Amino acid sequence: MIVGPINRRHVLAGIGAVGAATLLPALARAKGSVTAAIYPGTWDEAYRSIVAPALKKAKDVDLALEPLFAVDQIAKAQASRGVPPFDAFVLDPGPRATGIDKGLFEPFDPSKLANGSKVPAGFADKYGIAVNAQIVGIAYNPKKLPKPKSWKDLFEEPYVSRLGLTGFQTTFGTVSLIEIARAFGGSETDVEPAFAAIKKALPKVAAVMAPAALPSLFQQGQIDICYTNTNNVASLKGRGVDIEFVAPEEGAIAFVTTLHIAKGAENVDAAYAYIDTALSADVQAALMKPPSSMIPVNKDVAVSDLPVKSLDELATFKTHDWSKINPLRAGWIERFNKEVSK
Amino acid sequence: MAPGHANTVSWRLVSPLAATYVLLFLAPLLLLLTISLYDDSNLSRIGGTQWVKFFGDPFYLSVIWRTVRLGLFTVGATTALSLPLALVFCASRPTIQRVLLLIVILPLLTSVVVRTFAWIAILAREGVINETLLSFGLVSEPFPLLQSEAGLVLALTQIEMPLMMLPLVTAMRAIDPSVLDASRALGASRWRTLFKVILPLSMPGWLAGATLVFASSVTAFISQSVIGGGRLVYLPSVIWQQAMVVYNWPFAAVAAVTLLATVLGGITLLAAAANRIGGR
Repeated sequence: MIVGPINRRHVLAGIGAVGAATLLPALARAKGSVTAAIYPGTWDEAYRSIVAPALKKAKDVDLALEPLFAVDQIAKAQASRGVPPFDAFVLDPGPRATGIDKGLFEPFDPSKLANGSKVPAGFADKYGIAVNAQIVGIAYNPKKLPKPKSWKDLFEEPYVSRLGLTGFQTTFGTVSLIEIARAFGGSETDVEPAFAAIKKALPKVAAVMAPAALPSLFQQGQIDICYTNTNNVASLKGRGVDIEFVAPEEGAIAFVTTLHIAKGAENVDAAYAYIDTALSADVQAALMKPPSSMIPVNKDVAVSDLPVKSLDELATFKTHDWSKINPLRAGWIERFNKEVSK
Repeated sequence: MAPGHANTVSWRLVSPLAATYVLLFLAPLLLLLTISLYDDSNLSRIGGTQWVKFFGDPFYLSVIWRTVRLGLFTVGATTALSLPLALVFCASRPTIQRVLLLIVILPLLTSVVVRTFAWIAILAREGVINETLLSFGLVSEPFPLLQSEAGLVLALTQIEMPLMMLPLVTAMRAIDPSVLDASRALGASRWRTLFKVILPLSMPGWLAGATLVFASSVTAFISQSVIGGGRLVYLPSVIWQQAMVVYNWPFAAVAAVTLLATVLGGITLLAAAANRIGGR
């Protein structure tokens, strides 16, 4: 044998070394640590570079970020059955409603936060607290197309042949399709008019895409108009893509992204410290700057360079009741597949 | 050493691997099957409604067929490209062989996500292919490649090529040169030698390659959703939507078991076809 005999002592020494290595980070550990799920991409980068150092400085708590989409967070938390793989969620309204429904959150007390009272009324409840607002509307390429006015324009020339459709998998897709349905005479629970419009437009549209492919397809000129959130527009603009956001005349859509503490979380106090830091005026102001361009929810932050002028204006945007949407969404997703399938 | 003793030793040696397989492969598989036998997404009632819904819906049957067809097209395209290349490879000098090998395995050295997104830049309306065709005046309108089955097969062919090429080359190099000499000495033409000697003897390599290509192209979730787009629905995207967006795990489990069965079925069919052509 080339390696030589392996005896029990070698094996034990090896195991000991591995064990010691895992103990090392514990020695360097600060007052606390928290593991938070975070959206991959812009959110991950922004929270890593802004929130983590701020949390360390203000509360001496180490922040570990686990990049996961909202749906993946819910699926992981549900699969772990009471032993969550992270302490805090970051969620859009749809997955939030699912999380509430499935009892995945620790009861939340906004009064434990120094910044808990800085958010507008209705932005905090017993499940969690808003940390960012998102605005959804139409994105288009101003070099190729005139400025669209209404949701209905998407389904008329010259727009329809440059249109990229996405389905109900994402929050922005779902709320946009609801508003499209509404523009054609439907409602929050009746998206039939949207399906009728899609069916008619299908032979002409530029693409029916996976949401993950949206930025690439826009950048490559495969599509020149679509419905999406301002974050996507800001990040593409940052890369030098010709893209502009426009609020349709029916009104842009707003929804909030919320933070929640996972049921059975190990580090509840550290999780509160993390949420408090993410909501602090300094951090919110830093997150508002490009490239993250997040819309703040702390009333002390002066809003600038964003598609919304103030938090008061945000209140006038279209919002949706996800407890009504969620039960219907599975059917809509299946229906969308069937309608667009070749 | 008594044979009995040897058996116990080999049994002991194999047991860790066997235990790992049972624990990490068989158990989750049984779990998947069990989940598929629940009626509702909260896993509270046992029943077969999800299976009935899946197989009673022509849409999902067409999804199964489309997924299989994608695998077969990719196997066909990789075979058509790999066979001549493998023959050239085996006939080349070692220096050329090294260069060819590098070119063939190059796609394996980049991440699948990067490769897939690179294909968007190639296939898009303003991508490399369409810009070239337009500038030569060969087409007047951009040719829709992205979001088409042809474009997807093209991309998958490049991505999966090494999986076909490498086993094929291995099988061809294992052919005893004296067999080829014998064929020629007995008066067979070059083509006859190719079809009657080289190809049948390369069949095991092709079978291994076809198995790998089929299995990985029908399950290529990223390429299918990003290049194929929303209008081409395949089993992996149905599983993802049902498991991750809708949280209907039983239905996702039915689709997953179906995908598994489809892959195994496809491989069995390929093996049967290979045996037939190989004349065994």
